[in-house]
Amino acid sequence: MNRNFQAIVVGAGPAGSASALSMARAGLDVALVERGTFPGEKNMFGGMLHRLPGLEEIFPDFWDRAPLERHIVKKGVSFLTGDSSFNTVIEPGSFDRTPYNGYTIFRPRFDNWLAQEAVNAGATLITSATVDELVYKSGRPDGVTIVGRQGELHAPVIVAADGVLSFLAKKAGLRQPVFDPGQIAVGVKALLDMPRELIDERFGLARDQGFANEFVGCTEGVRGGGFLYTNYDSLSIGLVFHLGSLRTSGKTPYDLLNEFLKQPQVAKLVRGGRILEYSAHLIPEGGYDMMPELTGDGILVTGDAAALCNATGLNLEGINLAVESGLLAGKAVAEVCRKGDFSKRSLEVYKELMNESHVMKDLKQYRKAPHMLHNDRIYSAYPELVCQIMEQIYRIEGTSKKNLTKLFIQSAKEKIGLGNLAADAFSAWRSL
Amino acid sequence: MNIVEIFDFTSFNIDREPHIILNQDICKGCDVRGCTNCCPANCYSWSEAEQKMTFVYDGCLECGTCYVVCQRNAFTRWRYPRGGFGVAYRMT
Ligand SMILES: Cc1cc2nc3c(=O)[nH]c(=O)nc-3n(C[C@H](O)[C@H](O)[C@H](O)COP(=O)(O)OP(=O)(O)OC[C@H]3O[C@@H](n4cnc5c(N)ncnc54)[C@H](O)[C@@H]3O)c2cc1C
Ligand code: SF4
Ligand code: SF4
Repeated sequence: MNRNFQAIVVGAGPAGSASALSMARAGLDVALVERGTFPGEKNMFGGMLHRLPGLEEIFPDFWDRAPLERHIVKKGVSFLTGDSSFNTVIEPGSFDRTPYNGYTIFRPRFDNWLAQEAVNAGATLITSATVDELVYKSGRPDGVTIVGRQGELHAPVIVAADGVLSFLAKKAGLRQPVFDPGQIAVGVKALLDMPRELIDERFGLARDQGFANEFVGCTEGVRGGGFLYTNYDSLSIGLVFHLGSLRTSGKTPYDLLNEFLKQPQVAKLVRGGRILEYSAHLIPEGGYDMMPELTGDGILVTGDAAALCNATGLNLEGINLAVESGLLAGKAVAEVCRKGDFSKRSLEVYKELMNESHVMKDLKQYRKAPHMLHNDRIYSAYPELVCQIMEQIYRIEGTSKKNLTKLFIQSAKEKIGLGNLAADAFSAWRSL
Repeated sequence: MNIVEIFDFTSFNIDREPHIILNQDICKGCDVRGCTNCCPANCYSWSEAEQKMTFVYDGCLECGTCYVVCQRNAFTRWRYPRGGFGVAYRMT
């Protein structure tokens, strides 16, 4: 197929569909190109969908309209060792009142829905089309070639929304040609079948309430962590690993996942669950310091392609940042189309919009978080310390109890070292 | 979960044309082989006896891990499958 458009968006994930939606609403003839047979077919995440203020503005009924699973009322963190766990759970009453703070979703349903909203607004969705090369005219990108469906699409401006590896940003010379494994993590996930009533009972939920839990200490010392989210009638459970650390560990993601599922306390949570689907995907965890150039002549970069993820260890924000950057890219393209100037200079308006948005403000604020997460002690020594102290507090052996402060200092000395403890506390405080 | 049974729970529409092609010579001289343990779908296996890397792309989840962990750029080709082919998630 060969066709001309006013703009081409590559990738129908949250960033791309939001971008096409905002352009179509501004009256542009925009193509939304996706390699899957439908949008979302290639996409996985943890996960929890956070609030999307930009989309809520476009669709005031967003939360009734979108295909969502449970709203999250409880958030927990578990510190695990091979046979012990220490759990904290927060369940603020406000999380159970609208507007809800977050939902679990399935990407193949959610992404497809958002792309269809872009189509309803006038965008042309082209599926089963992998974008291969940029086409240049007078030294500037003027279109893309596609494979699967064969052909060329032309437009004076292209939005790269092709996800974490963004070959498009690479081809346009906007991202680093080689990734640093220290800045990227891989997530693996098992979707487990479980009856709704059993989930409600096991996790203390009612109606459409959901639970989200993060785990530390479940990766056999590899930098990373675990997650568990409740859907209506399934559990999403998985692990995330920093690639640099996984590579040197010699361990495999699926063996670690199996061990995680067998850990005694975790095993009780997933008991009876049958595996429905296994998936894996990368996360750009390098934060602000990993970001590529956001604009070039005739091209803008959004979402994961621009490394817009905020990973603080306890929470992972990605979809909300992808959607916001997509909407802003759409706004910027609509503006440059009016002027008819598609140069990098003209497209800088996107950068200005981004700088004013919460996306860049948050990424800058948490700029140091990725460095803190490169501390190996977080992934085994601290969870062991927490479990050991709690165990000793509760254990009764008929001998006199140790003073709590002494107990803490002694355990911390043993597991971590006091100098390290002070340094870690300082770096945690600086990064958050 | 047994990774060899990946085709029982994840769906694929396998392309005849491989989307990843390895240069065996580079793998022979590699001393890390991070791809073999990091790939979440177990697509890479190194045989010490034959000094040979076997790569099967059928169950590839298109995650990109090998692309990032390989520091010798052993890939003659690394791109996503042609549109319409490859992994097909239903509800993840
Ligand atoms: C394990 C894990 C857990 C996560 N948990 C959370 C969470 O709890 N909350 C949260 O908000 N975020 C989470 N994220 C992050 C979130 O998934 C991403 O930030 C988000 O999906 C980015 O959206 P995007 O549109 O930029 O990219 P993507 O969602 O990756 O979409 C890119 C799209 O482009 C398509 N594409 C790529 N290349 C081409 C090409 N050449 N031609 C045509 N199409 C192409 C792809 O098929 C895909 O549809 C998680 C991620 C992972 C991996
Ligand atoms: S693919 Fe890369 S990491 Fe794997 S063996 Fe070959 S050279 Fe080494
Ligand atoms: S892309 Fe992912 S699943 Fe496919 S071969 Fe590479 S590491 Fe394995």
